[in-house]
Amino acid sequence: MPVGLLAQTCEVKVGGRIQDGSSSEPIAYANVFFKEALQGAVSDEEGFFELPLLCRGTYHVVVSHIGCQTKEFYLSVYQDTVMVFELDHNSQLLDELAISSTLISETTTQELVTMDAHAISQNTDKNIANMLDNLAGVSTLKNGNNIAKPIVNGLYGNRLILLNNGVAQSGQQWGADHSPEIDPLAADKITVIKGVGALEYQGSNLGSVILVTPHKIDNEPHLHGKARYFFESNGLGNGLNIRLQQHLEKLAWSVVGTAKKKGDSRASDYYLTNTGSSEGDLALQLEYAHNPLWKSEVYISSFNARLGVLRGAHIGNLTDLEEALTREKPFYTQDQFSYQITSPSQNVNHHLLKLHTKFVPHEDHQFDLTYATQWDIRKEFDVRRGGRSDIAALDLNQMTQFVEGKYKRYFSNDWELASGMQFNRIDNVNSTSTGILPLIPDYISFETGIFVLASKKTDQMTFELGGRYDYLDQRVAAISISLPREILRYYNHFNNLSAASGFSYSFSKFLNASYNLGLVSRNPAINELYSNGLHQGVSGIEEGDPNLKREQSLKNTFSLGGSLNQKILFELLYYDQRIENYIFLNPQDELRATIRGSFPVFKYTQATARIFGFDVTSTFLISDQLNMVLRSSFLKGTDIQNERPLIYMPSNNLFSTVNYQMPQVGNWEQVEFQISSKYVFEQKNILPSQDFTRPPEGYHLVGLKISGERQLKNNRLNIFLRIDNLLNVAYRDYLNRQRYFADDLGINFVTGVNLNF
Amino acid sequence: MKSSNLCVMICWSCLLPFTGCDDELKDPVIPNEEELITTLTYRLIPTEGGETVVLTYKDLDGDGPGEAIVSVQTLSALTSYNGVLDLLNESQSPSSSITEEIEEEAIDHQFFFENTFDDWQIQYADTDFNGQPIGLSTLLTTGVNGTGSLTITLRHEPDKNGTGVGSGDMTLAGGETDIAVTFLISVQ
Repeated sequence: MPVGLLAQTCEVKVGGRIQDGSSSEPIAYANVFFKEALQGAVSDEEGFFELPLLCRGTYHVVVSHIGCQTKEFYLSVYQDTVMVFELDHNSQLLDELAISSTLISETTTQELVTMDAHAISQNTDKNIANMLDNLAGVSTLKNGNNIAKPIVNGLYGNRLILLNNGVAQSGQQWGADHSPEIDPLAADKITVIKGVGALEYQGSNLGSVILVTPHKIDNEPHLHGKARYFFESNGLGNGLNIRLQQHLEKLAWSVVGTAKKKGDSRASDYYLTNTGSSEGDLALQLEYAHNPLWKSEVYISSFNARLGVLRGAHIGNLTDLEEALTREKPFYTQDQFSYQITSPSQNVNHHLLKLHTKFVPHEDHQFDLTYATQWDIRKEFDVRRGGRSDIAALDLNQMTQFVEGKYKRYFSNDWELASGMQFNRIDNVNSTSTGILPLIPDYISFETGIFVLASKKTDQMTFELGGRYDYLDQRVAAISISLPREILRYYNHFNNLSAASGFSYSFSKFLNASYNLGLVSRNPAINELYSNGLHQGVSGIEEGDPNLKREQSLKNTFSLGGSLNQKILFELLYYDQRIENYIFLNPQDELRATIRGSFPVFKYTQATARIFGFDVTSTFLISDQLNMVLRSSFLKGTDIQNERPLIYMPSNNLFSTVNYQMPQVGNWEQVEFQISSKYVFEQKNILPSQDFTRPPEGYHLVGLKISGERQLKNNRLNIFLRIDNLLNVAYRDYLNRQRYFADDLGINFVTGVNLNF
Repeated sequence: MKSSNLCVMICWSCLLPFTGCDDELKDPVIPNEEELITTLTYRLIPTEGGETVVLTYKDLDGDGPGEAIVSVQTLSALTSYNGVLDLLNESQSPSSSITEEIEEEAIDHQFFFENTFDDWQIQYADTDFNGQPIGLSTLLTTGVNGTGSLTITLRHEPDKNGTGVGSGDMTLAGGETDIAVTFLISVQ
């Protein structure tokens, strides 16, 4: 925009109000900045601002406020104008600002927690599971720091669905050492629904869902983007993430690319040799508006990672494991740092293509048609003899095709009806070049499902009720473990019915409660049915059981959220889940003698289980600048049939942060200091016979974070410095399988730069 | 209202072709498990003539539930034997030798011989490229009459420089176990 036109064209008066997007409350002391004019203003106590002498033209306007996500708007100014800008509070506080479900546009009575764009950009160094780790009720199951999968209220893997842009992630999720093949930096937000049943989605789940939502393409005719870079001291990791986007008249596009590389991580006292990783991801999004009623979308994403596994965690038999448990630092620990990744390691590639078209012939009717295909390639490398370390020991190729049709109808009396039908075909093949009997067999599965959901939403209450039916047809071709080797064929059919219902009620603006009840089932996973063989790394022989029945869960959740004097905000979730035929790995009394020595045998077994617990979050707004957040999770899982604890249940934990925020320090805005403290209790709910060694002791981690933003000429810069495990504590976590061999991560300095342009 | 009903019909009929499931799953190829060790033989040849004693451990199905066949043998008291180890993969025919692989990667492998006899002596009779023991060849000298056991362990990528490792003490060897078999033996 050329500056210095006729004087009178630069006397346009622009004023307006900045307010909260959900409550419409005014936001005081927010910054408004017109980039092209290099002029800005600060809102007053009522949220009003004014710029009296602006030139005519089109502007990019940056609106920012402490504790809110900075937003950029694109608009034209031709005459004196009054405008309203809406900002949304950062979800980290939002969770506590609660009255939760009413803040979410989608109708749901189920409890959810969100990681928003701001929170993601302050944790760019982490993978998806580690990113979610500090949310209430979410933990991670790990095999070293590279390989991590989320646990929500005690359930993980095949009991949890991950939706990447609306498509259920279809990869190898059966192993404890398989992390989700998703780049979190391609996401705008990640939502964890701690529900009783997600009936809209196909695939196995016993309640909870993780939604990974990509950025919406902003309505901006110019090329814009975001560049994010981080460096971390532990592992000397670097990462770069770039997003570009443009919204043309009918076509909108965006591209996101991520590249990350790190070397050996370090525990407090030694290097964790061979724990480096590298990753390269790309996502492309295209949106096309055929006409105002009909829109189509193409989404392509590719995830490619090479993940090192601690060298000292690769062992032979039970004697080796017992020896490893007594070792102070793992065998093969090198004195020097290295970026090199050798066996054991994993190469994971996951590609997704999604085509989606949406037709809204009338504001009360909406049709969606989606096709998605996924290609997942997983290669796991072991330390092998005879130069075979470069040949994958596990080499799986999985193709998934998915078709979905949905219809939504809005009725005038606040009722909404959604129905849909889905087809999913999975073709899973082992490569023959491994020279090792496959751990899971080849199979083709075909699943058909239909669902109907009804909901009614008024100002005070939301009610929802839904049902779902699924039919699964599965063909399996396994290789016998006994001699002579032969092909064993299995045909499975499962018919499943699920139902869920929920009710939420706002007693006042300051108190909100909701209750959900769901009856859902999960078919036994392929590894639970047919895995047969040695699981490296845990020195155990895992045996599937082809006669397993489906799991059936009855889950209740009750949540309460609100505020006291608007100074103390609280949110409580209580859940109680009973699972019939819960499938778990049961240690057998037998030790199997082989030429490699003896190995413990674990068999997939079923029993009635109960998992209950609560997540509590409370926020104390001490002053405008100072607040404190306390979060606690308690969980207990029991095999009520045999009166024993369930294994691999998250430990109880306490998490707290103290935040001090300053709206302006010199040229820096939204400067924030944060001290965090996390205490994880020892997992006492386990019997000595259920594990190789007793669970690690409880531990306490302290963290520190400083962040701030500033306006550079046309660009917005955000930087952060985060220190994890500030006291460099040596600790081990119960849910990290690497705990048998080594300590967890030591101190880590992470610094990141985020630039919007 | 009518047009929307039509849309519903069209949408659903679009999906119908996907409902068929005639896929046939091909037979998987049974992998050639060439790395598997099924059989260990420890041939003990008396240095001063006499009958060769062969200790054999055989488990053809690898990690499978099939029982191993383990020979029980008698050794002569106060006798020296040249011990020769041989490893085979007999899960396939013809069987293949794993011994050659160990020889080729001798610096990454070492056998250990632990026994419950107080008066036995077992010495390494071979060395790798770095002059450190392997254990494919040994010299075993028995003591007086008695019964006990001999455990042969093969470690992959051990620390051959660890204290005592060179003389056959496994305590600080580390590495991972590729073989661990025990023979019951009587000395007469």
